[in-house]
Amino acid sequence: MDKKQVPISFTINGKKMTRQVNPSLLLIHLIRDELKLKGTKPGCMEGECGACTVIVDGRAVNSCLYLAVNIDGKQVNTIEGLSTVERPLHPVQHKILEHGAVQCGFCTPGFVLSIKAIGDECVEQGIVPSRKEIAKELEGHLCRCTGYVKILDAAEDYLAHPILQNSSDHG
Amino acid sequence: MNFNTESPATREELLQCLRRHQSADFRLAAGGTDLLIELKKSGPEDLTLINLGRLEDEEFTGITIHPAEIRIGALVTAARIHKDPYIHEHFPVLHQAARSLASAQIREVATIGGNVCQASPSGDLSCALAALNATCEIIDMDGKIRHETLSGFFRGPGKTSLLKSEVLKGISIPVNQDETLMSGFIKIGKRLAMECSIVSIGYHFQMNATGTVIQAGIAIGAVAPTVVFCTRAAAFVTGKKVNDLTEEEQLQVAGLIRQAASPIDDLRASAWYRSEVLFNSARSIFEKA
Repeated sequence: MDKKQVPISFTINGKKMTRQVNPSLLLIHLIRDELKLKGTKPGCMEGECGACTVIVDGRAVNSCLYLAVNIDGKQVNTIEGLSTVERPLHPVQHKILEHGAVQCGFCTPGFVLSIKAIGDECVEQGIVPSRKEIAKELEGHLCRCTGYVKILDAAEDYLAHPILQNSSDHG
Repeated sequence: MNFNTESPATREELLQCLRRHQSADFRLAAGGTDLLIELKKSGPEDLTLINLGRLEDEEFTGITIHPAEIRIGALVTAARIHKDPYIHEHFPVLHQAARSLASAQIREVATIGGNVCQASPSGDLSCALAALNATCEIIDMDGKIRHETLSGFFRGPGKTSLLKSEVLKGISIPVNQDETLMSGFIKIGKRLAMECSIVSIGYHFQMNATGTVIQAGIAIGAVAPTVVFCTRAAAFVTGKKVNDLTEEEQLQVAGLIRQAASPIDDLRASAWYRSEVLFNSARSIFEKA
């Protein structure tokens, strides 16, 4: 049975948008299948792996457990939104590369967005998180390649100076 | 998944929505982090989701501090609870439980009302709230309010006293009578993150200047059909100096806590294991660092 479509207005990667969506549509399906932004990865689809992480109003959330209708009026950032023509890679991504924290890369967009969100929140509160705190905040991400050490190294390095490196491009 | 959603923006719209759907099949969704997984696996056709994610009502979404109680709206997220400075200082058990729930991404979306209404025997926030003697504030479709203690609210795994015509509006916790606290949340799972508790214990002891316990709350999770408030253990501790309990008294408290449990074997752990871990975790409350 076809359900009544719901109109939603939101901003994605700085771009304002209005769409009609199916009421049971998940945010990940809106992003990947309708907006064709394939950097957001479907992993476990039940909130365990964090590959589908996106930023909604500054907070990292699992797009596989989030209804698309609930982004109405909100700002969404995906991994695609971190690059600009002048700056193809965000400082978090530079740190990930520098520390060799990528192998297959499937989990990377999720990690990058969570680290960016942590950085923005830490700048807001004027704190530098410890390695243990960073690991706690990244607990909702699984990586089956790296063993996490290099990812934590990259995150720790970035989060030591997020003020200098941070430029909240699309909010 | 193929359901309809209704997304009320105000309390009046929510109550209207409830009235309209009384004869239909509907579910209430707060953060939806647990419910959506359930619906992906087995969502009935023709279900309507009353989506509270767009409700803008301070009484549902705010934390307010009153002279006798702190009130947490049902739609307050676990992340907000764990970051709240008042809760951190005065109710460490709730602060720790909120921080131990699932993962950072889920904590940003999952709500206290959802955690309580899913009535999982292993609900982390539910266990902490039971230790704090919290009360549920429930509104029905005609706008009438009733209050019920958490222990009365929980009726079984996934079962609460909430009627089809009602919504949980908020949770109230009595303010501390004394601010010398021994308060914490112990969670035992197979790993530290993203884990459903095998055993959890929430405890909150308020002491006077001499260190005598004047108010005690102990609740346990994942070891019975609901979160259980350990009345006898709490009564045993009350009136005693909790830092000076003899080893024998500590064993007695742990024994009373174990007696309040009725664990079962399931895929996470055996009943025997749960009972042993519960006893030893209960003892660890009194261990000094």
